[in-house]
This record gives sequence, C-alpha cells and structure tokens, in this order.
Amino acid sequence: MKNLASLVIISVCLIALSCSKNDQSERFKLLTGPLWRTDSLLASGVDASAPGGMLAKFKGDAKFAEDGTGYFGIYKGTWRFNSDESQITIVTDSLILPIISDIVELTSSSFKIKTMVPNPLIPTESVKIRMTFKPK
Amino acid sequence: MRFIILTIFILLLISGAGAAGQSGTIKGRVSDKNSGEPLTGVYIVYGKNLVTITTQDGSYLFNASAGKLQITFNCIGYLSVTKEILLNEGATEELNIKLETKVQEIEQIVISANKNEQKIAELSVSMDIIKASYISDNHINNAEELINKTPGIEVMDGQASIRGGSGFSYGAGSRVLALIDGLPVMAADAGNIKWQFLPLENLSQVEIIKGASSVLYGSSALNGVINFRTADASNTPLTTFFAETGIYGKPANKSRIWWDTPRVFANASFSHLQKIGNTDLGIALNLLDDEGYRRLNGEKLGRLGLKLKHFSTKINGLSYGLNINSGLTVKRDFVLWENAGEGALRQQEDAALELHGGFLSIDPYITLKKSNRYRHELKMKFQSTSNRFPGSGKNNSNPNSLYSEYQFWYKISEIFDITAGASGNFDRVNSNFYGDHKRLNLAGYSQLEVHPFKRLNAVAGIRIEQNSLDGINDKLVPVMRAGLNWQAAEYTFLRASFGQGYRYPSIAEKYASTTLGSITIFPNKDILPESGWSAEAGVKQGIRIGKMTGQGDISVFISENSDMIEYYLAIYTNPETGVTSTGFKATNIEQSRVYGSELEISLNRQTGNINTSLIGGYTYIYPVEFNKNTGNDTDIYLKYRRKHSAKMGFAVTWKRVESGLTFYARSKVLRIDDFFLNETTGEAILPGFPGYWSTHNTGYLTLDGNLGYKLNKTLTLSFVVKNITNTEYLDRPGDIQPQRNFSLRLSGSF
Repeated sequence: MKNLASLVIISVCLIALSCSKNDQSERFKLLTGPLWRTDSLLASGVDASAPGGMLAKFKGDAKFAEDGTGYFGIYKGTWRFNSDESQITIVTDSLILPIISDIVELTSSSFKIKTMVPNPLIPTESVKIRMTFKPK
Repeated sequence: MRFIILTIFILLLISGAGAAGQSGTIKGRVSDKNSGEPLTGVYIVYGKNLVTITTQDGSYLFNASAGKLQITFNCIGYLSVTKEILLNEGATEELNIKLETKVQEIEQIVISANKNEQKIAELSVSMDIIKASYISDNHINNAEELINKTPGIEVMDGQASIRGGSGFSYGAGSRVLALIDGLPVMAADAGNIKWQFLPLENLSQVEIIKGASSVLYGSSALNGVINFRTADASNTPLTTFFAETGIYGKPANKSRIWWDTPRVFANASFSHLQKIGNTDLGIALNLLDDEGYRRLNGEKLGRLGLKLKHFSTKINGLSYGLNINSGLTVKRDFVLWENAGEGALRQQEDAALELHGGFLSIDPYITLKKSNRYRHELKMKFQSTSNRFPGSGKNNSNPNSLYSEYQFWYKISEIFDITAGASGNFDRVNSNFYGDHKRLNLAGYSQLEVHPFKRLNAVAGIRIEQNSLDGINDKLVPVMRAGLNWQAAEYTFLRASFGQGYRYPSIAEKYASTTLGSITIFPNKDILPESGWSAEAGVKQGIRIGKMTGQGDISVFISENSDMIEYYLAIYTNPETGVTSTGFKATNIEQSRVYGSELEISLNRQTGNINTSLIGGYTYIYPVEFNKNTGNDTDIYLKYRRKHSAKMGFAVTWKRVESGLTFYARSKVLRIDDFFLNETTGEAILPGFPGYWSTHNTGYLTLDGNLGYKLNKTLTLSFVVKNITNTEYLDRPGDIQPQRNFSLRLSGSF
C-alpha cells in the first residue's frame, strides 16, 4: 500500500513536470539559426548606419542565440519574442531602455523589424526605425 | 421444544428484571495521560440520554442497569475513549481512564480547499490557517500586514505573492484571489485586492491556499486563494471590542524625520454575535485613523459589516441570509519618495493623490442541505466601489460587479462525492482613468472526490470558463486539477497535487492611460491572458511528545507561468495621440518557473498554568525565467522575488499574562526592473535610488513583541512593539516600511 501511494504521488509530480515540455517554434528556428548581418538601417527612411548615425552601433553582425542571449552590432544583451512572436525585445546594458520592435518579415533569407522612438530633437515627434538583416 | 421455551422464558425474565431496575455502580477517575492531572468536566455517556460529568478532582460515579455497558469519555481537546464493561447486579466497578490529548493542529476544519468542510490534514494542497487570536494578540490592523506576515507569502505594496508566484506590477492585476466567506472581493477595474476593506473584526479564521486554484475559484486564483471567513453566532451571545492607540518611533536614520510632533495612530473595533430565535445576527465595526510615518501618506478608514442568517423551521436544512460589508476611506497611497536621503519618508507632492474611496458589498445566499448527503447553495454578490480623487478627477473610477454562483454537493456513496457549480460575474466600470467597459465571466466546474480506502482521498476537477470584454468573447478556457492525500500513519499524511491556473487581464492592464508624476502609463488592448500550473508534494506530520502537541509540514513545489503580465518600461507610441515616449505598459513578458520547498511547524505545550507555543516557517524559492523554445531554465531571476524567507514566533501564557516574540527574516530581492538601477532613468523616477539599492538590498530581519495582561474575565490590556530592531527595509523600490512603532490596546469580550 505504501508503495502504491508513493508511486501515485511520484506519478502526479512527473505528469506535472512533463506538461512543461515545449517545442521550438518555426520563427525561433529561423531567427536563431543563422548569423545575421545588417543590410539596411533606416531612421525616418534615411540611412543611419554611417559613423555618428543614430543606428551606427547596430551595424555589423547580429546573433540571436537559443538561450536568449545575443549580440547586435556592438551591443551585447538578451532578446525575447513576445507571446505571439510578432515582436522582439532586445535588452542591453548599453542602452537605457529596451528596444521593442515589430517583426515585419522573418524568413530564412531576411529579417526585418521596425519601431518608433521619440525624436531626440523634437520630443513630441517620432522617428520611424527600420532594420533589415540578411544571413551572413 | 419444552427446553427451548423454558430457556427463552428464563432469558426474558432476566432481561426484564434488569430493565426493572436491578443495577450496579461504576466509579472512577479521568486524568490526562501525560501529566496525570485530573480532568474536570469530562462527558461520560453510558446509554441513550444517560450522561454524567467528572468533578473537579476528575472523579465520577453513576448507577446503571446491570449488564453489558458501553461507556464513552469525551473531553474537548482529547481523543474520545470508549470502554465496554460487564456490570453485575449490585456490584461496584472501578474504571479509571487516561485520556490522550488530540493533536489539534491536524484536526482543524477548513472549507476553502474543496468548498466543503474537511480536516486540514486530509487536503491534497498546502493550506495555512490564521486564527483570529493571532490578529488580536499582535495588534494587526489591516489585512495586508496580516498576510504579509504569513510564511511563504509576501505582499509587496498591495500585491500578494504566494511562494514567488507574483512579482510587483504596480497594483494592477492580482494572481491571488481574495474572498470573504467564499465570495470574491477583487476590484473590478484594477483587478487588485482592496485590502483596507477586508474585515479583520468578527473573523473566524483566514484560510490560504498555496498554489493554482482556478478550478474552483476561476480567474485570479492563478497563484492561490485567501479566504476571510467570518464567525458564526453560537448559543451564547458574544461581544468583543478594542480601543487602541499607537505611536511611530524615530527612524534609524534620524535625518529622515520630517515631523515636528510624533506621528500617531488609533484604532477601535466592536463586534457582536447573537442567535435570536432561528436567526443568527452578526455586526462588526472598525474605525482607524493613521497619521502615517511618511509625509502625505495618512489614512482614515471606517468599516461596517452585517451578517444575518435564518434557519427555516418549515423546511429542514434550509437556511438563507445576507452579508453586508462596507467601508469608507480617505487616504494617500505612497508612490514616490522625494529622494533617498532626508526625503525618503516624504512623498513627491505631484504623486500624492488623495483618494476618497467607498466600498459596498451585499451578499444574499440560500442553502439547502442534508447533513452528509447533499447541499445546494445559491450565492450572489453585488459589489460597488468608488475611487474618487478630488485633486485629479481624471483618475476617478466607479467599478460595480454582480456575481452569482450555484453550487451543488452530493455524496454519491461512501466512496464518491461530487461538487459542481456554475458562476457568472458581470463587471461594469465607469472611469475617467480606464474608460467605460463591461466584462462578463461565465464558468462551469465539477470536482469528484474519491475515497477508495479509509485513508486515501483523491480529487480531480475541471472548470471551463469564458470571458468577454465589451461584447468581444475570448476563447473557452479549460483548467484542471488533481490531488491525492494518503494517511500513511496515525499522524502522518502524504499529499500531492497538480493544478492549472488562468488569469484574464484586468481592465487596468488593458486600458489604464495616465501620467502620474514622472511616470507615464500606456494602455495595451492586445494584452493576453496569463496561464500556468503548479504541482507539489508534501508531508504533514502530527507531533505528540510528552505534553507537547503540534504539527510539522514539509513540501516541495514547482510552478510555471506563461505570458505573465508585467509593466515594462520602454518607448511606446500612444495609440490615441500617436505620440511616442518613454513609459510603462502592461506586457506579456515572462515565461517563468519557480522551484521551492517549504517547512512549517507549530508546537504547543500546556503545563499547569503555563502554555507555550512556537509557530514558524521557512520558504526557499528558486524563481527563474524559462525559455519555452529550448525547454530550459535561463539563469535570469524573476523580478521582485527573494530566495529565502522565514518566520518564527514564540508565545507564553502564564495565568493572566500573555507574551510573545516573532522574528521575520527575508533575504535580498534577487532582481528589480533595470530602469530603477540605471543612473538616468532610476534618478529620474526615484532620486537617489540606484545608490540606495546597492547598499540597502541586503535582506532584513525584524522582531515584533507583545505583552498582555488579563485585568479580569472581560478585559485585557496589551502592548505591542513592532520592528523592535528598528530595521530599515523596503518592499518595492522606494517604499520604506514602518520603523519601530508602539501600540497599547484595551480589549474585551463578554
């Protein structure tokens, strides 16, 4: 009888633990698979990747590792999808705030995101940011 | 044949003679098995309507008809003993009995876990009970403080977290459901707990379920349930009251003193319970005036409760009644300090909004039950809350809700019983802050309890729930639970359980849009519901060592949550104005897991006039973010959690004197929002905080003490010192908790 009860208790715990098994989503595989390289970095439709530009420090390679860490140009930090994987949030120690971007396109050959930030010169206006990455 | 008839005749003659009055005598003494002390007032039942009791020296004597007798000895706090004895005509038999004390701690009856009365030891989930005496002995004046002092639970600025299941989300949305007598009392707009309106007067006990409880209680019970059970009237009318006054001492850092005269508080309470014919009446009143230890953070509060219950004389088992809970408050919540130095106990004026709040809950119900067979119960609740800010009308809100639930319990056989029910909740929010919204929640649930063997209890249940907001239906959500309890030995109970939880976002999380001081809040209409599950295995062990009784409980647990909603500071675009700026928005951020273990113990020893008790608990959690794509834990801690928390209380009662000391210890907060620590954003929101946190986030230990003296049978004078060590500690960033404070209370009951 003792053995039976112990078995049942252990089974309940195992069932509970087994509920957490998850599969990798298609978008997760697409993003974490390749090493990406910036193709275009636009602020309000204008290239901002030149030295001194608003997005210059993002220029270069970007890696989104499976464990949620990564590097994005010169920045190192973490990344995560939102629940329906329509947005990506990048957090780095070097930036005051996290960057939350809408994913415009994510395929094996292209990764495009967009977001809006306040215009540093005119705070009541916004700057549209678009970043495009290609597999390296 | 002649022999048989003769034999029957003789037997009838013998039994008839006995019944006609031939008798003997039984005498003896009843004593405590451990101490040997005589027991007074022991009920001795030796036949139908034949009862006697023991005298002051524990002795008894009665005459009974000769023959075989069954004698039962009953005494409160002791295990009953039944003896059989053959009493001969004219004989005197001596029967001395030693009664063994009950392990009261495992005999306690609770109702919240399965919506049915059950011994706490037989539950498949972890539950804590807080007795009303603990509240009065320790001068606890609000429910938030009470729950925050329970092992394994932390209430961070109003946000309750059971075993690390919640962090801090700025007052919006709660993963812990608060109930009064089984009915939810959550605010319909912010989805939070209105602690100040939860009654502490006229309480029977508070029951806390630790773990996902959505099957029986629905949305908001993702992390657990706190049920405030009010007391019922008994045959003897009972009036209780107290008047209390207190004073805040000086903080450890004297530079923070901002007042000219000491800050004081006063509290008074009255309650009365009485049966009038077939009607139970209960009334309770509480008044509080707290000047507050922080500038612009005072509170005035009044609560009034009424409880009516009528037992039908025409229909057996039918009762119906009405509970009313109401309250009014004028207060300012503390949001942001001026700075981390001398301004740490001063609130930033532009964040100090005065709230004029009102609360009214009218709860009629009707019950038809046949003891140990079936029960039908129909409960309703109309709840109206008013949040009015005279200095900032844009934040006003008037949420109303109408809740109804039908529940049916039926004992199918000795092996099976079933609990089933359906509930509906309609919220209507009129608010300048959130906009005007209507929300409907419909649910049906069923739970089967199985007792295949005497010592085994199993339970399994399912709930299906649907929410709709402003006419738009969300998907149907099923949640399940299962649990086992096995009594392995007389005082040993093993348990295991699994439960799923679900929480639909509050209206605040979807629609709150405002600016408070330097903080902007953005709405998020697309926020998704949270869901999760928890599982645990535990052992409850009754303890009896000589004159000491008690219980120990050890458990290991795990919980996982998906789409956890947290306020996240980032750059957002306001959907109404189109302006992009920095601020907070409720966001589905965390996939999380919390692993942990908990140890709780309570011991009680009665020796002559001295009663000593020890109660405590230790909780360890390992709360981490979980990567659903890899199926692995990350090494990132969840925000606003601590790994270790412990409580240990020791109380002594000697003749008229009651005294106690309670230690509370919590380790450092593992992680907070990054923006508080960033020199730019942290300084902008909470000046001086980044530096303060680096030196003050070290964990803390506080000590409370109480001393009481019974002046006579009615009155008690008691003195309590909270935070004797005058420790300075925070819960959420910028929220320094009260320094050492003193209170004197005159209480009574008759």
